[in-house]
Amino acid sequence: MASAPWPERVPRLLARRLPSYPPPPPTVGLPSMEQEETYLELYLDQCSAQDGLAPPRSPLFSPVAPYDMYILNASNPDTAFNSNPEVKETSGDFSSVDLSFLPDEVTQENKDQPVISKHETEENSESQSPQSRLPSPSEQDVGLGLNSSSLSNSHSQLHPGDTDSVQPPPEKPNSDSLSLASITPMTPMTPISECCGIVPQLQNIVSTVNLACKLDLKKIALQAKNAEYNPKRFAAVIMRIREPRTTALIFSSGKMVCTGAKSEEQSRLAARKYARVVQKLGFPARFLDFKIQNMVGSCDVRFPIRLEGLVLTHQQFSSYEPELFPGLIYRMVKPRIVLLIFVSGKVVLTGAKERSEIYEAFENIYPILKGFKKA
Amino acid sequence: MAYQLYRNTALGNSLQVILLQFDKAINSALAQRVRNRVNFRSFLNMYRFCDNLWTFILNDVEFREVTKFIKVDEAKIVDCDDKITGSNTTE
Repeated sequence: MASAPWPERVPRLLARRLPSYPPPPPTVGLPSMEQEETYLELYLDQCSAQDGLAPPRSPLFSPVAPYDMYILNASNPDTAFNSNPEVKETSGDFSSVDLSFLPDEVTQENKDQPVISKHETEENSESQSPQSRLPSPSEQDVGLGLNSSSLSNSHSQLHPGDTDSVQPPPEKPNSDSLSLASITPMTPMTPISECCGIVPQLQNIVSTVNLACKLDLKKIALQAKNAEYNPKRFAAVIMRIREPRTTALIFSSGKMVCTGAKSEEQSRLAARKYARVVQKLGFPARFLDFKIQNMVGSCDVRFPIRLEGLVLTHQQFSSYEPELFPGLIYRMVKPRIVLLIFVSGKVVLTGAKERSEIYEAFENIYPILKGFKKA
Repeated sequence: MAYQLYRNTALGNSLQVILLQFDKAINSALAQRVRNRVNFRSFLNMYRFCDNLWTFILNDVEFREVTKFIKVDEAKIVDCDDKITGSNTTE
């Protein structure tokens, strides 16, 4: 999922995982947190499922081992995938390096296309599920994280219930398979413990992906549903889908921007749906370098705020021009997030590449805002 | 299955000329002589915009006019460039 190379991602996740491993989930605001956790779990699980490329090995019990394997695999996927785009078309070894950045579903579709001419998206994933069950246990073996069989079992139970999950839920024959569920308590939990249960809700996610083939925009606009193409005004096809409710800008170079999703997983799913639409129109679309470019969150601190006071004390970070815009623009340095703070107590956070940045920024600003409570 | 083979005949050609005259006449009539306003409300099944042409496919449309009220299961609206032509298909 992340366009950054493997080694960068893994240490960060590992670093977060280790300190958080023991703490129990808090009880405050649990329903919303469960939802956040679910999304985060699924997102990360899918990441791990895609990231895990090594052939089936014995289950890994230490965090170090998967990290090493990832390092090994890191170099292979990048080079092999970029240099040999046709390998994914061939059947056989799912643990081939080409699957690193390409989710199973799209590769499956490429393989299935000669066999199955027209399928609905659901049917496609159904038909792929038996095949993709092969790699997924191995992927889960290799997946990041400490092994937690109970967590992984509950994790697999989450999958069937979640319609957004694109990866079909694998039966986990290996009880020791690793899952990322243990990581997930970390990020959503910290905001609760410090900010009295106020968790910023994600409102918009902007992501980009490279379909890696030149596109005939006129053909797409003529044949696809819910598409607009006005080359005089804008050089891209604007396509929308209903579930997840998103809008995509598809350019003739093959690059695509997907906006409007409410979670990382939904954004990825939506981008894949658009890629599938383009693929079904006859273009050899792939799914390269999916990257979330921006995440917007909002929340309410539930008390009015003295913006004038805030701009006086934090003037190197804030800019407040009530005649121009009624909100105070707070540019936080670490993490690099821009917050729009309003008198009513509503806060909008934007500029994040990761969900944790939003949470961290809100944690940082909340005590400051409490200090500027009105009356 | 009729052949359009015989269009290039005297009769066919004159009929084609009349068709062109019809095009002009209907366009000007719709532009000048039609004044009523119809409201409609429905579920939008599909939209498309290409070559400055909007195409909408609506489901469960209710066309309302002062005098009339028509319900239609499916409607296709083709909208080109300041002139609106509509064609209805029921069921």
